[in-house]
Amino acid sequence: MITVNNAPSIDHAVGKPKAGKGMNWKTKRKLFIFVFTVPTLLFFCLFMIYPIIQGLYISLFDWSGGSETKSFIGFDNYKEMLNDPILGHAIYNDYFLVFWKVIGIVGLGVFFAVALTRFRMKGSGFFRQVFFIPNILSVVVIGVLWNYIYNPSIGFLNSFLSLFTEKKVEISYLGDEAYAMWSLLPPAIWAGVGFVMILLIASILSIPTELYEAGNLDGATQWQQFVRITMPLTWEQIKVSILWVVMTTLNGSFVIVWIMTEGGPDNATQVMGSYLYQMGFRQYHMGYASAIGALILILSLITTLALQRIMRRDTYEMS
Amino acid sequence: MHKKSAGSVVLSAIFYVILILWALCVLYPLVWSVFGSLKDNQQFLLKMPWSLPEFPLLWENFSNVWVNYQVGTYFMNSLLVTTLSTLLALLLASTTAYTIARFRFIGNQVLYNLYLASMMIPMILGLIPLFFLLSDMQLSNTLLGLILVYTAMNISFGVFVLTGFFRTLPKELDESASIDGASDYGVFFRIMLPLARPGLISVGIMNVLSIWNEYVMGTVLVNDPSKYTLPIGIAVMQAEMQYRTEWGPLFAGLLLSIIPVLIIYFIFQRQITSGMIAGAVK
Repeated sequence: MITVNNAPSIDHAVGKPKAGKGMNWKTKRKLFIFVFTVPTLLFFCLFMIYPIIQGLYISLFDWSGGSETKSFIGFDNYKEMLNDPILGHAIYNDYFLVFWKVIGIVGLGVFFAVALTRFRMKGSGFFRQVFFIPNILSVVVIGVLWNYIYNPSIGFLNSFLSLFTEKKVEISYLGDEAYAMWSLLPPAIWAGVGFVMILLIASILSIPTELYEAGNLDGATQWQQFVRITMPLTWEQIKVSILWVVMTTLNGSFVIVWIMTEGGPDNATQVMGSYLYQMGFRQYHMGYASAIGALILILSLITTLALQRIMRRDTYEMS
Repeated sequence: MHKKSAGSVVLSAIFYVILILWALCVLYPLVWSVFGSLKDNQQFLLKMPWSLPEFPLLWENFSNVWVNYQVGTYFMNSLLVTTLSTLLALLLASTTAYTIARFRFIGNQVLYNLYLASMMIPMILGLIPLFFLLSDMQLSNTLLGLILVYTAMNISFGVFVLTGFFRTLPKELDESASIDGASDYGVFFRIMLPLARPGLISVGIMNVLSIWNEYVMGTVLVNDPSKYTLPIGIAVMQAEMQYRTEWGPLFAGLLLSIIPVLIIYFIFQRQITSGMIAGAVK
């Protein structure tokens, strides 16, 4: 009953005008594109883009969050940062986590991937499945589990150590400034290794086996094969893994800090994100907190760009 | 490995031990929260942490935590928020992704880059403004507020993955449907969406996991215990443990939040791993 006349253009790219009923096809097509993109865009702008821009804007104000007391102070919040020793320490802690997490997560991830592919371990499917589990758990779950492992009196770690000592071990891992930062590493590494492993396994399996066979014929050891074949050919994925760890740490490491130590004891484990939270929602310095947010954005962009440059050169030299 | 020297056998054995140790590191805390969820306080304080729970097993920890600790409410809130946000995010993302993938219009590439770039921006920068935005909209402490924020947080990933997916679908399909007289809307909803099901499932599962597990936005935007989702509720329960130690119920609550995630993982493993890879590679 509907004539072929009514059909919209079949050529999306160029489009041949055809007569339509009522509206012509061009208007209809425009309306369609509008209906399919604009609501999403408006929604996204309201709840994602606007808050981010507003965050940058608030960082120029002295504001406690109330309605009357918002005064423009230009870059004073940023100047104040220079004289804030806690912030300095928080930045240091962020990069401490970045450094050790990259070593731990990428190191173990690559190791497991190589062990499960090149060494053809029995039950490799099982290990793969299990190792990935922490990656799908909520940070809250990870934090609660590890809080219990670290619990000074009834926790697993001290009870285990006490088996080998005469006196009961009662180390307060998260409550002692000397241990607290280091104690945040195992849960963070525990939670990330599986993903890097999966990424690397896929990459190693795509390497032509002839290369390894040739290596065997030439009498290359497993280590030599790893350095000469596996590393260069999976470098792209290793790079992605490193950037992934760096990004997720700078943008999100505060969550595990918040759950496990709240930045304590005495700000010893404060990272930029947890400090932002404390400044904003505990001490009501909304302007200063927003400036920390801007700092996180800037540092994470600079760090990833710098790393991308460095690692690009490395690839070039290796090949 | 075409010849097995003594050295490589030893090496394999060492690797095997390391793999088993790591598997224990991963599984043990989980097994142990199962044990913990069946113990009473006395067993926590007097027995070794690795001791098995004593009989009778305290299954009532689960009903206790479900009713008296309101974990039942948290669970239902999580379920509602996760389901609605995921569906809404899928609708908003798939329409945009389809349009970007299939039509040439001014701003096409800009739109795509906008969604892609937003994935690199730390969400915490928007945390404070979001808090005030929701309170201006009278949406603080409401599940609707959480649903809107979670939806927005998951749109870019969906647009990114689904645009790639729609590009791989053969053009001839919607072209022939167009000739048969279907409108653009009909082509999308009746032909393209069903074809895109694998992509939608992948994105949907990733959304479900990220929303079910989300903590930061939730804890800032919701202060009313009757509106808590599981991660918020469990974090609060844990914080209160300093004053009132009830470990059994805490682990029972923890398990109630882990089990759905594990079930989803074992069903949709492939989608989850490939989804995470897509998110990281960009």
